[in-house]
This record gives sequence, structure tokens and C-alpha cells, in this order.
Amino acid sequence: MGLELNFSIDPRTKIIILAIISFMVFNDVPMYVSGILVLIPFVCLFFSDYKKAAVIYILAYVIAKYLQMAVLPNATGILAIVLITFSYTATRMLPILMMGYYTIMTTKVSEFIASMEKSNVPKDITIPVSVVFRYIPSVFEEIRSITKAMKMRGFGFTFKSLKSPLKMVEFYMIPILISAVKTSDELSAASLTRGLSNPKKRTNLISVKFNKFDYLFIAISIAGIAVYIYYLCGGALIA
Amino acid sequence: MLKMENVSFSYDEMRNANLKDINLGIGDGEVILLCGESGCGKTTLTRFLNGLIPNFFDGKREGKAYLNSDLIDEMPIYEISEHVGSVFQNPKTQFFNVDTTGEIVFGCENLAMDARDIKRRLDDVVSDFGLRHLLDKNIFKLSGGEKQKIACASVSAVNPEILILDEPSSNLDSKSSWDFKGILEKWKSQGKTVIIAEHKLFFLDDVLDRVIFLKDGKISNEWTIDEFKQVNHRNIGLRQLNLDNLTAKHQDYYCSSPEFMEIKNFKFNYGNTRVLDIDNVRIPKNEIIAIIGKNGAGKSTFANCLCGLKRSCKGELILDSNTLNRKDRLKKSYMVMQDVNHQLFTESVLDEVLLSMDEENEEMAYEILDNLNLIHLKDSHPMALSGGEKQRVAIASAIASKKEILIFDEPTSGLDLKNMMNVSENLKYLQGLGITSFIITHDYELILEACSHVLHFEDGKIIDSYKMDEEKLKEFFLD
Amino acid sequence: MSERLNVKDLITVGIFSVIIIVLIFIFGMLGYVPILMIALPILAALICGVPYMLFLTRVSKFGMVTLMGLIMGIVMFLSGHTWVPIVTFTVCAFIADCILKMGNYSSIKNSIISHGVFIIGIMGNMLPFFILKDAFMSAMRTSMGNDYVNVVAPFLQTNVLIVLFILTFICGLISAYIGKLVLKKHFERAGIA
Repeated sequence: MGLELNFSIDPRTKIIILAIISFMVFNDVPMYVSGILVLIPFVCLFFSDYKKAAVIYILAYVIAKYLQMAVLPNATGILAIVLITFSYTATRMLPILMMGYYTIMTTKVSEFIASMEKSNVPKDITIPVSVVFRYIPSVFEEIRSITKAMKMRGFGFTFKSLKSPLKMVEFYMIPILISAVKTSDELSAASLTRGLSNPKKRTNLISVKFNKFDYLFIAISIAGIAVYIYYLCGGALIA
Repeated sequence: MLKMENVSFSYDEMRNANLKDINLGIGDGEVILLCGESGCGKTTLTRFLNGLIPNFFDGKREGKAYLNSDLIDEMPIYEISEHVGSVFQNPKTQFFNVDTTGEIVFGCENLAMDARDIKRRLDDVVSDFGLRHLLDKNIFKLSGGEKQKIACASVSAVNPEILILDEPSSNLDSKSSWDFKGILEKWKSQGKTVIIAEHKLFFLDDVLDRVIFLKDGKISNEWTIDEFKQVNHRNIGLRQLNLDNLTAKHQDYYCSSPEFMEIKNFKFNYGNTRVLDIDNVRIPKNEIIAIIGKNGAGKSTFANCLCGLKRSCKGELILDSNTLNRKDRLKKSYMVMQDVNHQLFTESVLDEVLLSMDEENEEMAYEILDNLNLIHLKDSHPMALSGGEKQRVAIASAIASKKEILIFDEPTSGLDLKNMMNVSENLKYLQGLGITSFIITHDYELILEACSHVLHFEDGKIIDSYKMDEEKLKEFFLD
Repeated sequence: MSERLNVKDLITVGIFSVIIIVLIFIFGMLGYVPILMIALPILAALICGVPYMLFLTRVSKFGMVTLMGLIMGIVMFLSGHTWVPIVTFTVCAFIADCILKMGNYSSIKNSIISHGVFIIGIMGNMLPFFILKDAFMSAMRTSMGNDYVNVVAPFLQTNVLIVLFILTFICGLISAYIGKLVLKKHFERAGIA
């Protein structure tokens, strides 16, 4: 049943959309202007098995926008300031944050590298970036392991430990940093023995190509930002 | 064809040479074992053959190493990698990608092979090693054995003539070690030259052609596999080739009048699946208890629940007529983890022990350190110690915090005979102090050496709990 | 650039970038409370000294620190912080790299100063907010009147930005100095630094 949409876009498209949506952060415009750009992350999330996140996002945005437009003019007091700050922050940051979340959750490392290499991004950038994505889960694994060890020695989230937060930070940082040094060495040695230092350009098993969704979304993003710019420049004509 | 002529090497000029005057010739298609005690130089030797010396490790070098007729140290390492594939000891740090398929083809992509060739190699390797069910998975979610399989597939995909394996089975359980043998047999049938540096020998016997024994950086002996089978392994500090030769040392309990503790209702779910399901079991107190079982059988989950580390596990431990809930167990138990680095927090061994005490008592700390042969290291930084020494420091902290139950997670992974015996001595020392030790292990030799009781896990349940019984153990380990 | 960065250097940059990024994100969680967000650069400056100093023990070529800044900016961008951090991190890291080079990668004083400069890059994460605040300010002025705004205004002006800039730099210096002490206390004795 339902739409088997098989939705996926190239990592480069995600980057382009991120760059375009970034501009939204700098200006505040009514919803009918920003609507197109706001909807892009929603669509991406919704059709990529992140339906819950998509719905939460759109609800949060609508609430924030409503607060901003309906509540602000009549609000007073501390509560008003807090709400207004929240709504301003949310309406500007939510779209790009959700697009970022989507990008990180749905891009495979090998796919990312392949598309970067197709566009001739130098190894000096692709290697560290792929190491970043590959190492982040490891760091979290270590944090979990260290937390377990600390609990056993009586350093869980108890009063004893909250009294000396600096000690807690030290307890986490030292093992993690030592492990980072070891991993750095072992990963480098292993990678060298697998030819990573080859000066020739790498090839990829998966071929990355733009599909119809890529062209569609790039077009929509450009349309979205065009509306934005038009509003900001010749606002009077529309309003 | 590999050759080493008068090769010597030291990482640090101030210290003794790690390799002294090595002369070695390895023919095409040979499967060679490099063995010896920890520190004998076998890993250093492999580094000459895969180019890590001099491309990654610096030091004082003498002599020449040849790959066919080329000098290895004149070849750039990426060129060497076309002919020599390397698999390392730690499955966690040698993979570059997060997804398995990407990792398998990583080497091929680095060598700029054509996409069609890469696809072909991928298919070949998947069928050679039976990996279809592991494709497109997240490497972090695989077991140690599966990770090593992917590592082997990855080097195999490049189709090198020579394979160098540096203690590849250290972190593998016995089933995975036997599986690894299958990989070696495959390579041998493909005519590849395989050089394997290892401590664990039992899964290797009919794959090997020749055995080279190193001592203090020199080649001390060479045997054919048949000659090697006749050698007394214990005398030269090696683990057993043939596990049938061993007998259990503790057929009876250590305690003359054994008391028991009872575990009730240890149940734990991971998401919607029940991964631990123990209703009731009696376990002898103050013994050394082996916990065995296949990967995923629930051994680690059990250990975590026993220590009180899993919030949602609401079972009870009845010890000395006291019923201990999760928080009580947390106070009474301690787990020495496989990666001891995550448990050592301070800047000196002495501080580490003092940290574990509610009230700092230097005298008692000194006594504990002395008994564990650590007193000469009391001011050393824990991270500067060897693996075995770090383990002893973790044990010292446990004793200092007056824990009654200790759990060891694979304490002898990758340890040679001497160090394994040291661990066994430490366990017996703990038993003498009244502590109950649980050892999660797949080290058959260790179990026979030190343990007096066995808990056998399968699918989250304890399917058998018995006093040391060699026959039953053999069935599990040597099937 | 005299020497090209090799595989080991690139992987080192990647790994240490992760440590610093994870620290920033963890402490940055606190920053989602709008007022505390202003304190984020200072928190980051205080916490990143130790990993940065350890990283420097493995740096002896020009480009590694700059690259780290660029990588951090890229990760910030991909996680939804706009492209502003790319610019700020890379520029600050580049200057930090130059400072290091002037001390030949072995001067402790230069290392400490370079951290102060490097960590200023994190202000890129919040710059968009500051730009936002101006518009927010004018909107508030029309709705709530001038007295009201004048009470809140002091917190939201460009002056705050400058003070933050300076504080971040100073905290960066302090934490790098602490980092040096930690290196001695732990890493050198552990044989790693």
C-alpha cells in the first residue's frame, strides 16, 4: 500500500539545500514567503522514514510562528520575553537544524566520499571528514563504557560526583584522549597498508549521479530563495 | 617470495634491539606461523614485510627485506599493499568505513581499480567467505568475529599474493577462531602465502606448513608442522596446539565446605527481545567460575545485571542470607572490563587504589599493591603500564573497595602462556581473600588452569551449571 | 606550505576534530536555552584546551590546524549551523596555524596563544543569532515601548559581542595553559605526549 517513493538525494544536493536555507536565518519574513524553504526539510524527513521527526518539526515551527505573529504584539512581562525569544530562535533555526539532522542521518560515509570525489574535492578534506563520521560512534561507545566503570567505582550521578565536576570531566577526558591517540595510530597504520596513500585518484564502487529528485529539489530551493530575495527587495509590491 | 637478510631493528636506540639479525626465506604458497612469548619480536617482523617499517614506524634499521626481487623499503607503501594484505589484532580500530560493503571494497577503491572490477572482486570475496548476510550492515553492530571476517574480506578483495596476520584471533571466541581457520584454508587453497603471528595455536594445526619460534628478537627455532606437533609447548612458553593434551587442575571446589549464593529472576529485555531469562540458579560462593557460551548467548548481559549496571533488570542475589537488589549489588561487585583503559582514571597506581577506598588508608594500599607485585610501580601512571599490569591495578582497586564479587571480561585475550598463568595466579589470590570471581572467557587453557565451576549460557538462559568437568567442557570447545 | 600532509596527519586531524566537536556539542546542549547560548563560546574555550594541546604534540607541519578549523566548520555546517562557522573556524584556525609556525611548532607560549585564537572560531555558531537579535530588538521596540527595551537592550548589543570575543580569547588562553599542565600530569607520564 502507499507510495513506494524510494526517495533519496545526492549528498551534494543536501549541501546545496543547506547552504541556501542558511540564508533564512538572517532575515525574518512572513510564512507565505518562507513557506517553500521551510517545507523542504519536512518533505525530506517525511519521505525518508523520519516521519515522526518531520511532524514534530512542522508543528514546532507552526507554533513558533504563531507565537511570533499573534502573541508578540500584545505580550508583556518576563513570560513574553521568553516566548518571543523562543519563537524567534525557532523560526529561524529550525529549518536549517532539521535539514542538518536529515543530512547527517541519511548520508552514508561511502556515499559521501564518492560524491565528494566525483566533484574533485581533494583528499585532504575527504579523509578527515570521513574519519569524523566514522569515529563519532566510537567516542560514544567509549563514553558509555567509561560511565559503566565510573558507576562501579561509586562515581555515578550522585552527590559525591556532582561536588567535584572538574574531577568528573578529568575522568572522562583522559581515557578518551588516550584512546584517541591509540586509535589514530592504529587506524593510520591499517589504512596505509590498504593503499590510502596512493596519489592516484580513488574510484568508487557505487556511482553517484543526480537523479530526478536532486534536480527537483535544487530547483525548488532556488525558487524558494528567489521568492525570499524578491520579498526583501521589493516587499512593498507583494505586501 | 619473501626474504629477509640480516635484518635488525630497534624502535628506541636507547633500548635493546627488537629484532636481531633475522635471516628468513618464505616461499610462494607457504603458510607460516610466527610464535614466541610477548615481546619476542614477531609483530615487528611482520611490520618489515608489510612496509609499516619504515613507512610508519621509525627506528634504527639494518639489513634488507625483499618482496620478490624488490627491496621493500624502496617501494611506496601503497604499492606494497597491492601484493601484501594485512589484518591486525584489534577489530575495532582497523576499519575506515561505517558500512560493511564500503569497507570490503575500500582497498580496491584506494588502488583506483575500475568499478566493474571492484564489483567482481566484491562478489568473489562474498562467495568465498560466505558474507552475503553481512553486506550493507553497520560495522559497529557486528560481533568481533564478524568484524574480523570483514577485515579479511577487505584485504582479500585486493587479491594480494601475500597475507600478513598480526594476532588476528586475539579478540575472537572459539567458534570464530575455528571460522578463521576456514578463511586460512581458503587462502591456502588459492595458493596465497600466509604469515600469521599468534599466541592462540589450537585452531591452526593442519593449516600450517612451517613454524618459526622467536626469542628475544632472534629466530631461535624452525620446525615443519609435523616436527612442531612433537614439541612440548609449555616448556618453551607457548600455548597448546592440541587442546586434548590438557587436564583440569581443579576438579573439586577450592573451599572444603562450599557455600552457595542464589540468583533469582534475572530478566532483561533489549527493546522487545528478551535477552536474559534466568529464573533461579545456585552458584558456589568464593570459587572461580567460568562463564562460557557462544557470542550473543547473554554472558555480558548477565555480567552487567549481576553488577547492578542495568537499571531495568530487577532480579535478586541472595548472598549470606541477605537479599541484594540492584543497588546493593553495585556496591558489592566490580567488573574488570576487556578494555581496562576505561577504568583507570588517576595519575598514579597508588592514587588509583586510594581512590577506591572510602577512607584513604595508605598502609593498606601498600599491602594490596605488594601482594599483586605492583609496589615498584606505585608512582607510575596507570596508562604507561603493560596490559597485564593495568589489569592488576584494576584488581587492586577492586580489593581496596572491599568488593566481594569480581567479574572478568575476557581477561586473557591475546595473552601468551606466561601472562595467562599470571592471571590465573591473581584469580587464585582473590579466591584466597574470600572473593567470588566470575570469568567470561573462551580461553580453554585458562579455564582448565584456574576454574572450579562452569556456567554455560545459551540464548539468554543458563543451560548448564556444573562443577569443573573436563568432558563437558571439551564438548563445547572442541566440537 | 612546505610539506604535504600525509595520511597519518589527515587521520589525526579527523580524530581530534571529533573530540573537540563532541565536547562542543555536549556543552552546547546547554546553549539551547537562549540566554545561556551567549555563554557557549566561553564554555567551549574552557573545555577545549586539553584536547587541543594534546593534538599539537602531533603537529609539526603547517596546515594541520587550519585543516582542523575547516573540518570543524564543515561539520557545523552539515549539522545545521549555517555556513558562517566554516568561515570563522577556518580563518581563526589559519591565524592560529601561523602563530604556531612563528614559534616553529615547539614554543609553548605560541601554542597557548594559538588556542585562544583558534577557539574564537566557535563564535560562528552564534553569529547568526546576534544578527537576529537586532531585528528582534527593533520588533520589540515597536510593540513594547522604549523603556522596556532599554532594560533588555544592554544584553543584546554589539558591545556584548566584543566582550564575548575578548572573554573567549582569555578563557582559551587559560584552558590551553591548563591543557599544558594536564599534558605534564598525565600524558607525558603515560608516554603518549
